[in-house]
Amino acid sequence: MTTHKQKAGVYAVTVTHYVTAAICFGVLAGMIAFSGSAFTGHYFQPRILAITHMAALGWGTCIIFGAYYQLVTVILETELYSVKLAWLSWAMLLPGTVSLVYAFWEFTPGIWMQIGALLLLVSIITFTLNIYLTATKARKQTIQEDFIFSACLCLCFTAMIGSALVFNFTGAFLLQGQLHYLRLHAHLGLAGWFLLTVIGVSSKLVPMFLVSSYQNRKVLQASYYLIISALVLFLVDSYIFGLNIKTYFIAIIGIAGIACYLYFIYKCIRTRIRKQIDLPMKHSLLSFILFGAGIVCIPFIIYYYRANNQLNIRYTLIYGIILLMGWITSLILGQTFKTLPFIVWMRHYEHLSGKVKTPMPSDLYKNSLLRIQSLAFAAFCVSFIFGCLVDSALLIRIGSVALLLTAATYLINVFIMILHKTRTYDEL
Amino acid sequence: MNFDITDQSAFLKAEAFETLRLVIDPELHVNIVDLGLVYDVKIDETEKLINVAMTLSSSYCPMGESILNAAKNCLEKHYPVYRTNVDLVWEPVWSYDNITDEGKRQLGLEK
Repeated sequence: MTTHKQKAGVYAVTVTHYVTAAICFGVLAGMIAFSGSAFTGHYFQPRILAITHMAALGWGTCIIFGAYYQLVTVILETELYSVKLAWLSWAMLLPGTVSLVYAFWEFTPGIWMQIGALLLLVSIITFTLNIYLTATKARKQTIQEDFIFSACLCLCFTAMIGSALVFNFTGAFLLQGQLHYLRLHAHLGLAGWFLLTVIGVSSKLVPMFLVSSYQNRKVLQASYYLIISALVLFLVDSYIFGLNIKTYFIAIIGIAGIACYLYFIYKCIRTRIRKQIDLPMKHSLLSFILFGAGIVCIPFIIYYYRANNQLNIRYTLIYGIILLMGWITSLILGQTFKTLPFIVWMRHYEHLSGKVKTPMPSDLYKNSLLRIQSLAFAAFCVSFIFGCLVDSALLIRIGSVALLLTAATYLINVFIMILHKTRTYDEL
Repeated sequence: MNFDITDQSAFLKAEAFETLRLVIDPELHVNIVDLGLVYDVKIDETEKLINVAMTLSSSYCPMGESILNAAKNCLEKHYPVYRTNVDLVWEPVWSYDNITDEGKRQLGLEK
């Protein structure tokens, strides 16, 4: 009887990351609610910087770190190298995020911003080292390992550029303007860290959750090389020349890579054995639609930028909102309910399963709250994105309220799961 | 599951096989027998041992250990006189065709 077992202590570090991320999501929703007017101006301003970093680090990256520690046995087919390194990474990620976000919000580019940036950089390097040492123990090399390790490297590079930008606020040493480096920093984060992570993890999990036998490694390999090529070309070309006519072609290479991945997901859906798609998986499927909507913004951004039209600022802001608050958030809101209930269930019921009737993992959270969360999030997406597009303060306000409701229901459900007490079926 | 009347342990084998229907896949909410995960049940009367050969729908299923433990727990609870051994096998590879008609109905594959 052999499958991949979890290392002792992984449960606590994983759950701590999930709870931290859930609280950060609540804080993020509050920050957005208090910053309505910021979404109608330029994206390079204190409130937007604070919100973006809370979304990318406190929310997205923190929960991805936690999920990696738990799922590494599934994705890399070996156990996590070190739980201590995982704790060390978390212990720097949290104060680093708080310090950086606070310094951006108040815009005090001094010691707290610099300490925050350095803590985050060390946290990210620690995480990458842990994943690298885990991957070296894996018995076979998979395309998922390539995606994941490349994603970790991109995260390290983007953290380095971010730290350089923070120090550049007080002692200008960079050769070009902040916005020039911001573009590289953002795309290493979005296309490097988040996209490669999502593809690497979902290409293992989606076939498993849908019970699909589709296993076309070549499609994923094509996706990997196209996306990496596009990312490297974009970084080099836009660093030297800025956005130009070549950027369209680079975008096409990247989109071709994404299309390969979406084709893989489509084939998994078509060949799935499980016909019913549950609410968490619907959330995840919505994220792919939002991702497509984000991609649609790219040609507009390049066109308006080259035409020296101010609309490029509006579209860049919408692009960021769709990707961070739409795509990434939707994916996390869904996948939390495909991972956390199982993590908690294994903790409480693995030893009892088969002896007595136990609740199922999906019984560990309130489905009614999840339904409200899904509706509220859909309302946020429609209202907030259109609000930013047409510059409507009312729609942005309605969207902010919907996001607060989304965060409240999500937080309650996370705590219901975390605080679950072991009980057998008859007691329920 | 075939029933061989010349085999003295045939009844117990069939009963143990049916007992495994109490083990539910936590993700799919269908029992492991109707999912076609149980390949064979053998009884060793001299050793008082129940041997189960079963598979998983995916080699990297994070719930794999739980499902195997549940099968072992289930048989040990219902047949306390016997020890239980669960062997995880990957041949033949599990496929859609392994699912019983009842399993397909529960998964919404067939009306």
